[in-house]
Amino acid sequence: MRITDGLSQNQFLTSIQALESSLSQTQNEISSNQSFSTPSQNPIGAGEVNDYNQALAQSQQFDTNANSAKTNLTTEDTALTNLQSQLQSLRSLALEANSGTASNANLSSIATQVTQIQNSLLSLANTQNGNGEYIFGGYSTQTQPFTLNATGATYNGDQGQRQVQIAAGQTVADGDNGEAVFNQIKTGNGTFTVTAGTANTPNTGTGVVGATTVSNPAAYDGQPFSIVFTSPTAYNIENGAGTVQTSGTYTSGGTIAYDGTQVTLSGAPVTNDSFAVTPSTNQSLFTTVQNLVNALQTGTSGANGKTGLSNSIATAINNIDQALAQASNVQSSVGGRLNTITTQLSASSSQQTQLQSSIASIQGLNYAAAITTLDQQNTTLSAALQAYTVTQGLSLFKYL
Amino acid sequence: MSDVFGISVSALQAFQQAINVTSNNVANASTPGYDDESIVLSEALPQADGLATIGSGVAVSGITRAFSQAAANQLNTSQSTLGQLTSLQSYTTQIDNLIGTTGGGLSTALTSYYSAWSNVANDPTSTASRQALISAAQGVASSLQSTASQLNGLNSDVNTRITGDVTQINSIAQSISTLNNQISVTQGESGGQAPNALLDQRDQLVSTLSGLVGVTTTSNSDGSLNVFVGNGQPLVVGGQVTQLTTVQDQYDAAQLDVSSTSANGAVLNNELTSGDLGGLFAARTQAINPALNQLGQVATALSTQANTQQSAGLDLTGAIGAPIFSSATPTATPSAKNTGTGSATVAISNVGALTADNYLLTYKGAGVYTLTDTTSGANVALTGAGTALNPLTAAGLSITLAGAPATNDTFLIQPTASTASNLKVVLTNPSQVAAAGAITASAATTNTGSATINTGTVTNPANPALLTPASILFTSPTTYTINGGAAATLPASGKIDANGWEVQITGTPATGDTFHVASNTGGTGDNRNALASAAQQTLGVLNSGTTSATGAVSALITGIGSQASQVNTAQTAQTAVNTAASNNVQSVSGVNLDQEAANLLQWQQAYQAAAQALTIGNSLFTTLIDSVNGTYS
Repeated sequence: MRITDGLSQNQFLTSIQALESSLSQTQNEISSNQSFSTPSQNPIGAGEVNDYNQALAQSQQFDTNANSAKTNLTTEDTALTNLQSQLQSLRSLALEANSGTASNANLSSIATQVTQIQNSLLSLANTQNGNGEYIFGGYSTQTQPFTLNATGATYNGDQGQRQVQIAAGQTVADGDNGEAVFNQIKTGNGTFTVTAGTANTPNTGTGVVGATTVSNPAAYDGQPFSIVFTSPTAYNIENGAGTVQTSGTYTSGGTIAYDGTQVTLSGAPVTNDSFAVTPSTNQSLFTTVQNLVNALQTGTSGANGKTGLSNSIATAINNIDQALAQASNVQSSVGGRLNTITTQLSASSSQQTQLQSSIASIQGLNYAAAITTLDQQNTTLSAALQAYTVTQGLSLFKYL
Repeated sequence: MSDVFGISVSALQAFQQAINVTSNNVANASTPGYDDESIVLSEALPQADGLATIGSGVAVSGITRAFSQAAANQLNTSQSTLGQLTSLQSYTTQIDNLIGTTGGGLSTALTSYYSAWSNVANDPTSTASRQALISAAQGVASSLQSTASQLNGLNSDVNTRITGDVTQINSIAQSISTLNNQISVTQGESGGQAPNALLDQRDQLVSTLSGLVGVTTTSNSDGSLNVFVGNGQPLVVGGQVTQLTTVQDQYDAAQLDVSSTSANGAVLNNELTSGDLGGLFAARTQAINPALNQLGQVATALSTQANTQQSAGLDLTGAIGAPIFSSATPTATPSAKNTGTGSATVAISNVGALTADNYLLTYKGAGVYTLTDTTSGANVALTGAGTALNPLTAAGLSITLAGAPATNDTFLIQPTASTASNLKVVLTNPSQVAAAGAITASAATTNTGSATINTGTVTNPANPALLTPASILFTSPTTYTINGGAAATLPASGKIDANGWEVQITGTPATGDTFHVASNTGGTGDNRNALASAAQQTLGVLNSGTTSATGAVSALITGIGSQASQVNTAQTAQTAVNTAASNNVQSVSGVNLDQEAANLLQWQQAYQAAAQALTIGNSLFTTLIDSVNGTYS
């Protein structure tokens, strides 16, 4: 090929420009500590890094969510612990009242203490979190959920339960509504409840209800029935329509078994005394407490005197036990959720480390390689400049 | 005897000429477009002298330039391709930098937006978190707007450069035609001797022109050159110039097209595919507008998703959520050439089917329309009649037509082109953020069965009865009535759909158990809608629901990067091709100073020899005179 002066100039300039451009690129990589700064340098990588960054930000947000739920659940956990301790006090007071030696004056003083506990319970049920939200209001967190009324308390909240996203596809409830914690509490033993006498015809004997159990769940059909005494030592079992199903002999402290249930009765019932066995229904804790207060205030002067009081207090204790069980259930569920959150927070921490290392492996710079490249490019550029000056010095005109 | 003088003088003259030619080469060693010239010497006609013929010296028969038309054509073609790639590259690089690794900040803004939704979900009653959400939404909108406005700025820049290119092309064409005239005159006067300087100038102009627009040339016998652009549109024919002109696009007056005075206003954009001008058209149709459309697609997905979710929830005041973003704005522009009075209105009917392409709607007469994808050129099947009740639907769009179009009237449909520029946050009051679900379900406290109900989800926000209170009464463990209506059977899934909501019953209800579904008024602590909005970060919406808005941003980044990288690679490769072609031309036509130095020495020595011959002739003559003088003196 014939080499002309224009040609060698052109070639020199083109190659110097290419060298300077790649040198500047390497320099840019080193100063930014990133192997690419525009998508064109690594189109697939840029898209992937963007996806990873989104996932990373989302995972970090999930942590924020989890911590927010943790705060709310911790508040609820404390409230539930207090609830259980108040219920224990309530139970002790009920037992004290049921000791049989308490006078009406004593009962009245116990009633005052129960009322105080009722107020504490109300305040617990209306607990607010750091944001001023009522934690037991369901979705209605800005409405005070419970207000006392004559028969217990009115629930102004709803049955909503707020979920918080703590991982992709995983949500955790950051609370429980007041309906579930305070209202939906089964009466009696949780399956059925035994009531002495009826409102219109109270018992006149001294028969009191003791322990009740479901001895054969398969046989229990949930139909109400009554134990009706035909003499102080004999009783009939009547179904809801008053039809006699079977009959038996009564021994004080013995158990009466029917339809898969066992009811312990003691004392001395008289003819026509009756004990109704009905399936449990939901009763608000506040109704239970109010009923207890009413019974204590009435004392032994109500229907069936001391026996009536005894039966009322026994019912209340049963219901308080159910409330305790409910509070404990909810608390263990809260504990479970707090555990889930802790597990998830540690999982997400390792996930984030993973994502960060993925991002670094795509976008991060291999310093050793980059600096070697820089050095190499620098050497090539210096050599090219040197070569130019040498070749440019060659001219025949110099020798003329 | 006299011959030695004649011969020597002819040699002296010839070598002086040769030295001149060499000096001229040295002088023009760096002149662009200069072709190395060389003198052509030939033996003068011999004289007969008896039996032998004796030469009568040397004659200059011409001065030729070292020029290869093939090499020049190769360079010109390569320069056209390089011009196209270089101007396209100047835009793909700008878009590459503009979109960057975060989609022009869009990705970061979207992350903040979805995080803000999560924070609202964590604390739905907080005005601060709601305000932060509105700010984050504004961040997304302004990021989209700013990127779109910079892309629109690139489009204006393309227009400016098209105008500049056309002006320059016309001016070069004018110069070529002038040179054509001079060359044919000079060539005629000099008896066919090539006017090298003029030819060099003209070749240099054609080469410059090739960089601006691809050309083809043909030579005429009088030495003039015809230049054509595109598919044979004449630009210069002899001394005649047909100018290129810029015209407004028939659909978008803000875009300039190129036509020619000979083309009756027909747009030549699609023919002028190479050179700087071709690169500008490619930048507009292949880089800038697609990027705008894709951004608009993301904006459409985002606003549709956000606004639909808002409408499924309640705000702090208990009202159904108002839209957060302004709704997407597809456009249908009638061609300026339409002769009918038809107009088209476009709405988005299905975001999942939406593409980032533009479409051309053509009226074929008799109520028939055809739709063509302008990117792929493929026909798209249309259904419907184009009326308000039965709109034409295709590609996620519903098109309603009005007026009386004429046959072959066209409308350009741009589903997403202007959406990113126009996206605004229309929700300003933090309490209007719909964080709560629209409905809530509850079980009656008196229920005795084991069944529970979830709080329900909204399946159709548009159902007018959505917020109407409903009581689900179980008439048996497996059958129920709603508000005392017809009895229905509870499916195995436990799901009950009515009034645009869905609730899930778990467990076995007892006869007489009742569940209530009602408006979630007062449920200000509810975050179901905020949760659903936050979950949209990864929820597929585009491409038949497979790609989320954030996924589409990643795809956009990869797409822009790939295009820029591909253009960079092609440009680098073409630069190498062009360097080779240019080296080839230089190798043929360039000046090598060493060669010129050698030539100078050669001609100098030849000149000295000729002068010496003259001296010898003179001395011969003197000797003769002296001897004659001696004889007769």
